[in-house]
Amino acid sequence: MASHGISRTSGTLVRSEEQRQNELQQIATYKDLVDLVNTKVAERQYTVEVLGLVTKLLNENPEYYTIWNHRRRVLIALLPATPPDSDDASSPERPHEFIDGDLQLTFALLRKFPKCYWIWNHRNWILRKGESMSDTKLASRLWSGELQLVGKLLHADSRNFHAWSYRRDVVAQLQRLQAKAADSAAVRGLVESEFEYTTKMIKANLSNFSAWHNRSKLIPRLLNERQANGTTRRKMLEDELQLICTAINTDPFDQSIWFYHQSLMSTISSDCPRESMIVQDLSNGERLRHYAREMEYIKEILEDEADCKWIYESLLSTASFYVQVEAGTKAFTTLEMQSWLDQLRRLDPLRRGRWDELGRRLNL
Amino acid sequence: MSLVSGPGRGAGMTEMPAEMRLFADKHVRYIQSLDTRKDELEYWLTEHLRLNGLYWGLTALYLLGHSDALSRSDIIDFVLSCLHDNGGFGAAPGHDAHMLYTVSGVQILATLDAFDELEKRIPGGRQKIGKYIADLQDPETGTFAGDEWGEQDTRFLYGALNALSLMGLLDLVNVDKAVEYIQSCVNFDGGYGTSPGAETHSGQVFTCVSALAIAGRLDLVEHDKLGAWLSERQLKNGGLNGRPEKQEDVCYSWWVLSSLATLKKLHWIDGEKLTSFILQCQDPELGGFADRPGDMVDVFHTVFAVTGLSLLKYPNLEEVDPV
Repeated sequence: MASHGISRTSGTLVRSEEQRQNELQQIATYKDLVDLVNTKVAERQYTVEVLGLVTKLLNENPEYYTIWNHRRRVLIALLPATPPDSDDASSPERPHEFIDGDLQLTFALLRKFPKCYWIWNHRNWILRKGESMSDTKLASRLWSGELQLVGKLLHADSRNFHAWSYRRDVVAQLQRLQAKAADSAAVRGLVESEFEYTTKMIKANLSNFSAWHNRSKLIPRLLNERQANGTTRRKMLEDELQLICTAINTDPFDQSIWFYHQSLMSTISSDCPRESMIVQDLSNGERLRHYAREMEYIKEILEDEADCKWIYESLLSTASFYVQVEAGTKAFTTLEMQSWLDQLRRLDPLRRGRWDELGRRLNL
Repeated sequence: MSLVSGPGRGAGMTEMPAEMRLFADKHVRYIQSLDTRKDELEYWLTEHLRLNGLYWGLTALYLLGHSDALSRSDIIDFVLSCLHDNGGFGAAPGHDAHMLYTVSGVQILATLDAFDELEKRIPGGRQKIGKYIADLQDPETGTFAGDEWGEQDTRFLYGALNALSLMGLLDLVNVDKAVEYIQSCVNFDGGYGTSPGAETHSGQVFTCVSALAIAGRLDLVEHDKLGAWLSERQLKNGGLNGRPEKQEDVCYSWWVLSSLATLKKLHWIDGEKLTSFILQCQDPELGGFADRPGDMVDVFHTVFAVTGLSLLKYPNLEEVDPV
């Protein structure tokens, strides 16, 4: 019902009578399978055979959420209610086969339908089930494997927000397990490696806003876990500014980069909530030096890219930060600010209403 | 999203330049034809969207001024056939109850002004539905699950507040706690994701901003920051995308535009260019709208194209409530 990117001509072809009959046959077969699954589940036939029918149906239609619920109903009946006794050599391997089976099914389906909420949701459910039947070590291994899976899916589509959300959730699960095992070094290692992962993703594609976003969320956690002092926090801010300035220089027309730059600038402001600040004890003198340096750098880029509206927007917003600290500054003039605003109006007529309002707010 | 006004007037075609013409009659016929396509496999594969689809189609018809194009009593019969004893709606008869369909069910009943009929057929029905929704609130975090299986998402939170407010039952849930949860989802760009830590996405911006509007807490939104982010969704061709550096799609004519409307910043983008982009996505012969010009149409993109045009004050369309 919601079709994306499918050309209209491919759909409006008139079907021949033979094609129509074929489709009617397909419908009949599909509906038979639906009826069969629904009937068996209604009769509470929670068997391996029914699980197979459910698999068949989900492969045909993974969006059919009720069938995922049916699958869980069947699995709950088939899986033991309590963790198997690990000392009991005769305990069957069966439960973990079910878990593995569903991990394979959902992986194959996610490859084909990476944006289907119900598949992601079921994978999460089956992992929790698997965890409840495992000791901490095995549970950690289960969840660790997920980082590789999600890496594969992000390799296929580096902006898939389901995959990024899932990745954050997996990390949270692993941290919970490591906290349970009182392994604080491992917890720290995880945030570090996730931070490095965003660096890797950004270097592969500067335009990956999902990676920049995740980075913005990881930095405060990273600094807390490192128990960073003023010096190391300042180093982090410097490194981030340098990274983003190189990115701006590489592609000044990419908005992902400018949004991240803007976010770094806002962490410098004294209005920023303390928990989101990178450096928590910046002096006003340091703030002004940062703002001035950024404006200088952006102006340098301007020399080659006079038609890039992001440059003027950034100059105006950094200037506003500057004025907040030092109202009567001589670092730039109202006339300059006026000229940046004029450029925005010229280069970006789509958002004219916004620039007009900005002008009124800045008294330009 | 609900309708501001009741049954519409006839949509007389005004004189518009050819490229700015809305083929309203074609769209009405397209929507009427949707339930007659039972000889297509796609019809059966999309049964899990039936109740949503009915809401989308019905809303588009109301905005196009053809509220009577589908039979009112048939619709009510169908909607109530999706209602479970526990007060939740499924996508179609025999499908499990879920928040997504419960919201559509309530929205359809509200559109048809049919809560009295609900009570007549199912005494205490409104309270029952309200309780189903309220029970899905997580008392610890304030957010909502989609169903008994526990998936949580700000889509469900918005749906819950929307449906409860339409039924006048907001007092069944802890609205303050829900607002707190939304606040925990805010990002550096002023936008919101599906859960705390998740990337800003236009769809989630719509759910969170609208939920805050229902809760009367729009003061918590960073208007300028989020308005700026939303305005940057407009691309050179006039269309809107859902996140930075992504492709345009007609459905964002609703998610982005309604959020801008709620923040009173519709003038931050070029409405005329967007109108023209939306109109290029219609099928002028068989009716309906697609995600992009030349693509296959569907009812999902059709409703969000029409609601977008309504927010853009396209002539002869009924007015839609952005929340």
